[in-house]
Amino acid sequence: MDRRKLVALAGAIVLGTALTACGSDDSGGAAGDNSGVTLTMLMGVNNIYPEQQRQWFDEVSAKFKQETGATVRFETFASANDELTKIQTSVVSGQGPDVYALGTTFTPTAYATGAFVELKKEDWDKVGGRDRFLPATLGISGPDKDHEVGVPFASRPFVMAYNKEMLAAAGIDKPADSWDGLRDQAKQLTKDGAYGLAIGYADGFDPWKFIWAMTIQAGAPVVKDGKAALDGPDTKRAYESYLGWLATDKVVDPAAVGWKNAQAIAAFGAGKAAFLPMVSASSKVTLDKSTVAGKYAYAVMPTIPPGATSLPGGGVAATSILSGDNVVVAKYSKHKDLSLALVKLLTGEEMQTSYYKTFGELPTNQAAATALGADPALAAIVESAGKSVNTPFTGGWGQVQLALTNVVVQSIPDLSAGRVDDAKLSGLLGQAQTTAQEALDKAK
Amino acid sequence: MRKHTSATRQGRPLWMFLPGGLLTLVVIVVPLALALYISLLDLDQYSIREWVGAEFIGFENYVEAVRDSHLPHAITISLGYSALVTLGCLPLGLAAAVATQDRFKGRGLVRSALLIPYVLPAFVVGSTWRIILQPDGIANRLLGTEGLWLNGPRSFWALVIVQLWAGWPLVYLLAAAGLQSMDTTVHEAAALDGAGHWAKLRHVVLPQLRGPVSLGLVISFLHNVNSFTLPFVLFGVPSPYDVEVLPVLTYVESFQNFEFGLSVAMAVVSLILVAIPMAVYLRAVRLDTERGQK
Repeated sequence: MDRRKLVALAGAIVLGTALTACGSDDSGGAAGDNSGVTLTMLMGVNNIYPEQQRQWFDEVSAKFKQETGATVRFETFASANDELTKIQTSVVSGQGPDVYALGTTFTPTAYATGAFVELKKEDWDKVGGRDRFLPATLGISGPDKDHEVGVPFASRPFVMAYNKEMLAAAGIDKPADSWDGLRDQAKQLTKDGAYGLAIGYADGFDPWKFIWAMTIQAGAPVVKDGKAALDGPDTKRAYESYLGWLATDKVVDPAAVGWKNAQAIAAFGAGKAAFLPMVSASSKVTLDKSTVAGKYAYAVMPTIPPGATSLPGGGVAATSILSGDNVVVAKYSKHKDLSLALVKLLTGEEMQTSYYKTFGELPTNQAAATALGADPALAAIVESAGKSVNTPFTGGWGQVQLALTNVVVQSIPDLSAGRVDDAKLSGLLGQAQTTAQEALDKAK
Repeated sequence: MRKHTSATRQGRPLWMFLPGGLLTLVVIVVPLALALYISLLDLDQYSIREWVGAEFIGFENYVEAVRDSHLPHAITISLGYSALVTLGCLPLGLAAAVATQDRFKGRGLVRSALLIPYVLPAFVVGSTWRIILQPDGIANRLLGTEGLWLNGPRSFWALVIVQLWAGWPLVYLLAAAGLQSMDTTVHEAAALDGAGHWAKLRHVVLPQLRGPVSLGLVISFLHNVNSFTLPFVLFGVPSPYDVEVLPVLTYVESFQNFEFGLSVAMAVVSLILVAIPMAVYLRAVRLDTERGQK
């Protein structure tokens, strides 16, 4: 015990010196006079609309002051790694932002740290009630209904953009609903220097989302009940299909072995690809400024897995991972009620609508989502939001995700040489399976 | 109180070491001790909040690092590419220093230009080379090659080339400084003895540069072993197998896999690795001062 205290003290000294700039909490209750109280909220920086984001911060802060008397100070992080570092230091030192906006797939990891407030009935009431949210968006708030930490704040489902002119010229009336069908359409569209598909094979996140979707559609999700199935036949078929687009089907620009998501968007924007799967509504900003402005539309991605012509038994017609942002309140916050009041403000109909109008991210608020109505430009995205499926709620998910992506990274040399090496792929999947299962076994 | 008066009485105000000593304690000793302690814990995302209470597992992290992780592979890659880069820096740095030694028009400009790769932030270097080395990038077009530079076996050479490009000016800088401080009478004496250009370089200039240049090489080696930003930006994570360097592996274990204990164990192993050339370095510095005092 003494040793522990000593170590804790030493740790506190070290962290204390590093963290002087973080928290700005004064002690004091939430009720009554809140003037002089400052809440801190950590959010990802919006690189597409930086100016609007600053304005939005001011707007929220003003509104919150008017409602509660307290001010909100926004801090931003530039990348997921920044965010993680910030969360780690705050969690260890017990001080830092009161409220965090987290990506959905990161919510299980955040939950695993036990550092965020689990919302009881009365807490949900303080944010305006659990039923103010679209049910689908609550899918990754916690491991079960009684242990939820994340309040859905924004929804960013993945869809597929397609070039209407190219499809029309080839006599294709709409994008296929199966991955095999999409591949065949892509083959038809690969000509005159243009390719059927634009894929970011070197992206740090895209690859696992494809594999995840294809396997859950096949009824063999990569993780189920704490068991990994990365070395199963359906996972292998998913990889073969995904890698095959470039290697053997030749429907992707060979340069795509070096592309990240942004470069795939750019290729589609330059009119060099007919389909652009795995993008969110935020791609609209780039595409509307590109040469394909007005010539493209969004559709949901195929929901029938590779090798099938209809959804197999046990398969789930997932159009996208459940994607977007959750907000969580730190347990160490000295202003829990005020923090919940801020969450209430952020997830209210008015704020959600204005957030959508400014940033193009869909509301999680039921009323706001309904009010968006049947905007045809949004139809596919709204549909995908409703058919999104959450990734498994385990603290080990981050590792599974990385293991899935790693298989693609290590397959790229073969991909570039125009082949999918069967033995090598099996070997990589075996390794990925071991890594993933170890991570799941450690999950608490 | 008593201690410091007695120290003063002896004419050695040891208490003046106190600020420096305290700083060393806080900045070096405490974090190092913490790191060693954490490397013995089963510290992950589940225990980070109450990290002091994380399970003590002895040397299991070290065993896992050496036996089950990619650590040995990463060490081979890191040491191999660092050695190659360091060796490559030597001729480049020396040649540039000797070439810019004699006065000529525009020498200042050339000297500054030579330093550009070194002063550019690693992030900028990485992003720029990432574009150059894309499959449809300039490198393939100029070389008439095709295929991958940022993954597969060639990625190792890409790392060597980029790191060399960014790092050689350090050796140049130290060599140039060494040349500057050289006594001009030595040159004159050598010339009087009838030494030609090459003989002068070989027997007079280079031996005198041994000190600063070997320091440059050791610093360069250490810098490469520890370099994180450049490989991270060039290749991203997860790292392609051929460029899975030690710092990036350590980073991934900590910040992607949340295996903090394991990651710190890896960091300790890399610290030991770095300590070996470090010892050489410190020795070299000592030799240098002695020579200076002569």
